[in-house]
Amino acid sequence: MKINTITFSSLVKREVLRFSKVAIQTVFAPLISTGLYLIIFSYSFQNREVPRYGIPYISFIVPGLIMMSLIQNSFANTSSSLIGAKYNGIIIDFLLAPFSYIELSLGFMIGGMVRGLLVGTVTYLVSIYFYGGAVAHPFLALFFAVLVSSIFSLFGIIAGLWAEKFDHVSIFSNFFITPLTFLSGVFYSVKGLPGIWSKVSLFNPVFYMVDAVRYSFVGQSDISPLISALIIGSFALILFVLVTYLFKIGYKVKS
Amino acid sequence: MSTAIKIRNTNKSYGHLQALSDINLDIKKGEFFGLLGPNGAGKSTLIGVLGGLVKKDSGSITVLGKDIISNYRETKKSLGIVPQEITFDPYFTVRETLKIHSGYFGIKDNSEKIDELLEALSLTDKAEIGPRELSGGMKRRLLIAKALVHDPEIIVLDEPTAGVDVELRNSLWEYVINLNKQGKTIILTTHYLEEAEALCDRIAIMNKGKIVKVDTKENLINSIDKKLIKIQFADSVHGLNKELLGIDFNLNKEKKEIEIETAKGNLDKILKTINDLNLDIVDMNIESAKLEDVFIKLTNLGDDEN
Repeated sequence: MKINTITFSSLVKREVLRFSKVAIQTVFAPLISTGLYLIIFSYSFQNREVPRYGIPYISFIVPGLIMMSLIQNSFANTSSSLIGAKYNGIIIDFLLAPFSYIELSLGFMIGGMVRGLLVGTVTYLVSIYFYGGAVAHPFLALFFAVLVSSIFSLFGIIAGLWAEKFDHVSIFSNFFITPLTFLSGVFYSVKGLPGIWSKVSLFNPVFYMVDAVRYSFVGQSDISPLISALIIGSFALILFVLVTYLFKIGYKVKS
Repeated sequence: MSTAIKIRNTNKSYGHLQALSDINLDIKKGEFFGLLGPNGAGKSTLIGVLGGLVKKDSGSITVLGKDIISNYRETKKSLGIVPQEITFDPYFTVRETLKIHSGYFGIKDNSEKIDELLEALSLTDKAEIGPRELSGGMKRRLLIAKALVHDPEIIVLDEPTAGVDVELRNSLWEYVINLNKQGKTIILTTHYLEEAEALCDRIAIMNKGKIVKVDTKENLINSIDKKLIKIQFADSVHGLNKELLGIDFNLNKEKKEIEIETAKGNLDKILKTINDLNLDIVDMNIESAKLEDVFIKLTNLGDDEN
């Protein structure tokens, strides 16, 4: 199906305008928590190096922290936009308008990506003060950032469609997103985990995302970035198809 | 092409509840069409199916000759649906809402149309404020403006005047009548039968998921053989009784006014009888049936069938 650029870009504009109107809570508030992580970790581990990586701890965790803000904000944008639209009843605007299902998926997804990438970028800018700002493969970093933000935007769409109340969205973030992110190697090298735990971590999709972005930043990673790219890419594709299908069947929005 | 909407054998059920039961309906282009029925009759479900909010179980619906499922892009552009529930996007001002909505329909710069709608719906001075600050009536008008930004050929108004004050209601109808005169097809559902009676060319009456009757307003009203005769006399009436008149009647306290409800065929006898009594008549009024009578008759009929 052809994509109508005006129809599709209006949805992206709507999504971006929506979070810009409440930028204090959507863009600046997330920066505070990430800023605190940076301050605390850079102070607590100022003379520590990460085993096997041979780099300062702060340089190690910066890519992870950027990923974390990217993940949380992409997810928060689409999930809150959709549950809000359901709550306000304006979800019917998207059903009455001539959107194709792909346009709906892309429109919401890109809206969430813009917020994730924006907060991620600002997080990076703040982190320059703490570690110097060196990025080994900047284009690769951008590539992975775009891919990861798309994945969590799509996740947010699923959560937003599934949720019947605002509380339901926090179930998603508290029981899935946060544990998977914290256990993905944002703060430690998964290779260094004892015994079975380093194997278990391989089942965590977020691990590949953090690891790939870390490779882009410091040039070293726990596993090959090519494998990560394949896994992340297929993950994004599967989610996109799933989300488009959910829009097509009108999952929880059409009766 | 003369058919705006063609509905064939359309069914929809929610569990055991048959919300739409074998609906067949043709709405002509340029018509002012009324869809009436008591609460839960299936009017909003039918409109929901038309707009893609509700998935029908079976049947087919075309809008200007295009199927609403396989050609939904085009049918959605031809339809402007004003939903019954008041909804608003709290993030955007009135103008922003209309701009975004125009974009959804593929219109890039729509400021001329937006200004026209704001003016027509008396929202111009509210254009830059958020919907939270709008009164209920203004929110309803914003909904109407949203449904019209893409200049649709067919406009569906689902209970548009609920909670709208009288003055506004009149200006709203003036605007809708004007749209109809420009050739737009209007479909209206309303609880106010006087509105339907005043506005609609043809009317479908729904009850319990079925269309019980579709006809022109005149035919529907004529289908009820009922006249209400009111006669005012100069002096108190004496000597008039049921036996003489052959029908029951109401006499007011001063005995100067009578009200008789009867079939057309009895008019002659009644008037002659009164004439024979040599009473001085001051005023006389004969009313025909109202749409409301038809409505009550048909929706009760539906009850009996089940």
